[in-house]
Amino acid sequence: MFRKILIANRGEIAVRILRACHELGIPTVCVFSEVDRTALHIRLADEAYLIGPAPSRESYLRIDKLIDVARRSGCDAIHPGYGFLAENPALPRACTDAGITFIGPSAETMEVMGSKTAGKQLARRADVPTVPGTDEPIENPAEVQSLAQSMGYPVLLKAVAGGGGKGMRVVSNDEAFASCWRDASSEALNAFGDARLFLEKYLDAPRHIEIQIFADAHGRAVSLGERECSVQRRHQKVIEEAPSTVMTPELRRSMGEAAVRLARAGGYVNAGTVEFLVDANLNFYFLEVNTRLQVEHPVTELVTGLDLVKLQIAIAAGHRLPFAWETITPRGHAMEVRIYAEDPDNNFFPCPGKIVARRIATGPGIRLDEGVYRGWTVPVEYDPLLSKLIAWGNSREETIARLRRALDEYTISGIRTNVGLFRRILAEPEFLHGEIHTRWLDHLLARPRPPAIPPRSCTEQAVAIAAAYWESLQPGNSSTGSQVPQSAPSRWKHEGRREQLDRQP
Amino acid sequence: MKFEVHLESVGGKSEHIVDLQKDASACKVLLDGQPVDAHVILAAPNAVSVLLNGDVFEIHVAPSLDGTYKLQTGPHEFEAEIRDPRAWRGRKHSALEAEGRQQILAPMPGKVVRLLVKVGDEVEAGQGLIVVEAMKMQNEIRSPKKGKVERLQAKEGQPVNAGEVLAWVE
Repeated sequence: MFRKILIANRGEIAVRILRACHELGIPTVCVFSEVDRTALHIRLADEAYLIGPAPSRESYLRIDKLIDVARRSGCDAIHPGYGFLAENPALPRACTDAGITFIGPSAETMEVMGSKTAGKQLARRADVPTVPGTDEPIENPAEVQSLAQSMGYPVLLKAVAGGGGKGMRVVSNDEAFASCWRDASSEALNAFGDARLFLEKYLDAPRHIEIQIFADAHGRAVSLGERECSVQRRHQKVIEEAPSTVMTPELRRSMGEAAVRLARAGGYVNAGTVEFLVDANLNFYFLEVNTRLQVEHPVTELVTGLDLVKLQIAIAAGHRLPFAWETITPRGHAMEVRIYAEDPDNNFFPCPGKIVARRIATGPGIRLDEGVYRGWTVPVEYDPLLSKLIAWGNSREETIARLRRALDEYTISGIRTNVGLFRRILAEPEFLHGEIHTRWLDHLLARPRPPAIPPRSCTEQAVAIAAAYWESLQPGNSSTGSQVPQSAPSRWKHEGRREQLDRQP
Repeated sequence: MKFEVHLESVGGKSEHIVDLQKDASACKVLLDGQPVDAHVILAAPNAVSVLLNGDVFEIHVAPSLDGTYKLQTGPHEFEAEIRDPRAWRGRKHSALEAEGRQQILAPMPGKVVRLLVKVGDEVEAGQGLIVVEAMKMQNEIRSPKKGKVERLQAKEGQPVNAGEVLAWVE
């Protein structure tokens, strides 16, 4: 096992990883930017080093500084978390050069599987079904347009280096093609420095179902089952659950086998996720591979009982995967919501700030993965994910009931959050029946919002009392109040007055 | 202590006179002149617990920059402005009518995207001075008083930290 692990990340995932390390008895080294000195991962780490100013380009994305900290602090492994450098082959390469183990797949695997085009070519070779479209990045718009015509609209234009929904456009007809092409390529150029696009058939109302895979360095690769992440807002996952409501044992087996075939074909080692789109007839199509730990990994942890981060560390240390996992079946149901500091009333704009009060959700079947605390100011510079609230129950119904209950307990004041959005989704009949697809939430949000339930008059009265009470506690008001009990006069004052009176002639 | 509480929520606006009579052991509450069965304590920092006729309410209080409060209980959100009937002016009122030379501070870290005024401009209380963008959201920083822009520290495109002085209004 490792001597000491450097966590090259921040926020809730840094906390998640350091918890796994501490359970394994491995000391942790964390890094922070100038605005993250007070972040939770720094409060919990064994060692912490400043690596630069707030912008991530000058701190969390600086491979040279990370390697330097790892060397100086005597780390023999680096965990990248997700986001930042997690899928950048330059980090594992730099680790290899420095003689440090990278907890994740090799640089070569990342290059082969992480890129969407290369991943698709690999999928074809491994006999994994893919969405009809181009394998190669396409240069000439006219050529693509004729291909789109033959394929039939709608089609999707996607950035080769894309992710997070950037550089992506749905083209619904021939007239819109030219402007969509222009928008997608300029967005891709701005976001990733790579304007190349590829084209694929746009599936109508597909589900997003992904398979968690694990592979060791001794040639064993297994599937840990699926997660359904169909509830998305503009291609960003919002709610994830396992098992999927449409899953059958046969489909799970064939999707799992396809994902494992792909992992083998790419020589994959460590944790990865193979994403698929599933249509109404339960045909599945390979989408892409995420060569890292996913944000939604706790969902799999709750239904399998495994600790994926500890598994990642064990595999990176050269351990074997135990055999029994090939036959893994999910137990119960798990669901995760991603709570962000964003304002649902203002187009989900991020709204960081100081957390002045909070109540934490706990209790049966509830897990809260987060990197925040009361009194901390959520910085503006990074992704505004506050908490991942994950519920587990025997059935989907029980899981949803627990999640709703926990969302009522979870309160955070001083900043706005998207908690209200989850209250709404978890009450939608379509969601409760599992009738969801990747554009379901966008459609829901496009509908007029049901009018907010006005507070009852007793709630309003209680709030008025609370507001007055709070005001009475403010420093300027304490002196005007009768907080000093009149029944306890000062003996000193009394004696002084008596003496004064005695002095009178 | 008597407070005039102005509340606003999706249910509309309302106004209450809350009279808190504190003594050593308890705090009696008169709501709009009527005694009510209420027990109120500070349960945790910024969290007030109210038992009103036996119903439990936990209300989180967050002060806003303009002197009002944001209150949150369950799914409900309120904005409250409190006026002390004995005082000359309410909190919000006094914030708008600030006197003397006023520093204009950045309320959050971000980037100055636009200057709406020049040095020497006459401004009204509440008039927008500077637009600061934080995480793609644009916020107008307003003048706390009627007066003249004395100095402008901020420049367009400049990153600013929370609390940094952007301008002075005399």
